[in-house]
Amino acid sequence: MAEELVTFDSVGRTYGSWPAVEEISFSIAPGEFAVLSGPSGAGKTTILRLIWMGDLPTSGSVEVAGFDSRRMRSADFASLRRKIGIVFQDFRLLPDRSVHENVALPLLVAGASPASVRKRVLAVLAEMGLSHRRSSLPHELSGGEQQRVAVARAMASHPVLLLADEPTGNLDPETSRHVVDLLMSINRAGTAVIMATHDPRQVPPGMARFLFLERGRLVDPAAWQETR
Amino acid sequence: MIHGIATVLRETLLNLRGKQGSVWATLVMVSLSFVVFDTFLVITWNIRSILRAEQENVGMEVFLSDSTDEQAARALADVVSGMQGVRSVYYVSPAEAEALFRADLPDRTDLLDMLGDGFHLPASLQVSLFDDYRTDERMNSLAAALGRLDGATEVVWGEDYLPGLNRVTGALRKLDIFAGLVLVISISLVVANTIRLAVARRSLTVEVMSIFGASDAFLRMPFLLEGVATGLLGSAGGLAFTALASGMVSTSIGHGFLPGRWMAGVLLLGAVTGFVGSWIGLRSGIPRPRR
Repeated sequence: MAEELVTFDSVGRTYGSWPAVEEISFSIAPGEFAVLSGPSGAGKTTILRLIWMGDLPTSGSVEVAGFDSRRMRSADFASLRRKIGIVFQDFRLLPDRSVHENVALPLLVAGASPASVRKRVLAVLAEMGLSHRRSSLPHELSGGEQQRVAVARAMASHPVLLLADEPTGNLDPETSRHVVDLLMSINRAGTAVIMATHDPRQVPPGMARFLFLERGRLVDPAAWQETR
Repeated sequence: MIHGIATVLRETLLNLRGKQGSVWATLVMVSLSFVVFDTFLVITWNIRSILRAEQENVGMEVFLSDSTDEQAARALADVVSGMQGVRSVYYVSPAEAEALFRADLPDRTDLLDMLGDGFHLPASLQVSLFDDYRTDERMNSLAAALGRLDGATEVVWGEDYLPGLNRVTGALRKLDIFAGLVLVISISLVVANTIRLAVARRSLTVEVMSIFGASDAFLRMPFLLEGVATGLLGSAGGLAFTALASGMVSTSIGHGFLPGRWMAGVLLLGAVTGFVGSWIGLRSGIPRPRR
């Protein structure tokens, strides 16, 4: 059995006295597609933050790509994050940089050479169908194009895991479908994907594993469906 | 490594681009602070130069008894030459002493004439000392040792004013250090505030870079470089302005400008101050995992 890529073991995270998530345990295998679903405030974003270790658990432990939250040294955070790509609902593209520069960012912070950065950026932009937009600034793009740039940036450094936090939240249904198709094709190519969404119907049943959150706790999928 | 440095430099330039107003405002403020500091340094440096020249003139004069003939005096000079702290010894014969008196005090030569041919000034040894030995304590003990020599009647070494001179020099040195510390603290706070604003303005960039695996050093470096550059350019600007002003007033008030070593020190102080300021400014703003 392959070693798990992500393992949550009785994880809890509180902000002040408010418990954002409690007693969360699950694991994600390499190459898996997981959908993390639940209403707003259920703890989806908290779990994604715990995976890229923007936050550390207040109880339990998180292990991602061999990095254990209980034993993280200062330099480990950067090393872990270079193995993860992240896509946000609000894209978080740098407004003063071109599409090319935005996509190049993860490679540049990792110290890649200019030639290899250029080669990889051109390749990933071509994969996303954005070659013709490489010199544009983010505000010159449509919402769908901006999200594709965000995906291209997340995929630039060949991550083993792609996190998508409500990636379709700001998009129309048609564009949302394209973005989900894009994530599924990335997954088919071998990258594990964890997508947080309040609407699990965006991903066809059988194409992913569904994890349902309710008030900071994982709940049984059947029970969750009954409440809908 | 080289690519990382190039990226950091590029990020530093991007930091500076688009906020030229605040960059200039900070530079002007840092430069003006350095103008005040440099002016203070020029004044104290000139005073210290005068005092140092005075201190360098401080030597010892050992007056010899009438019974000490030239041969004995020269033998005594050899003994004194071998004493610790003595750089050189010069024998002044009675005839030379009289000639010196007449040259130094031409209006008072009548005094010598009045005393008649039978009078002659005493022979002496003029003792020059190494710089380290011009302290009150060392000169006191050397004077005592010289006074015990056969043939020596009196030792004169400026004991009335040298202690005061040393005290003033020491006080000026402390004043320079104090002014430097005040400058470091005040400019650091100015730079810290500028860097804090720069980090806030670029919070999205910093956050995204952190999320995509930028190391702590990578995130900090552009802001630290900005701080160092601000301090360095500010101190250079302050020096240039002070040098210009110094040149303009030098015709009416004769003085010297700071030597190269001091100017290098001022530039270094600027760079260090900028670094300290940006380090303080970065204490908040760089994202860290919340525990």
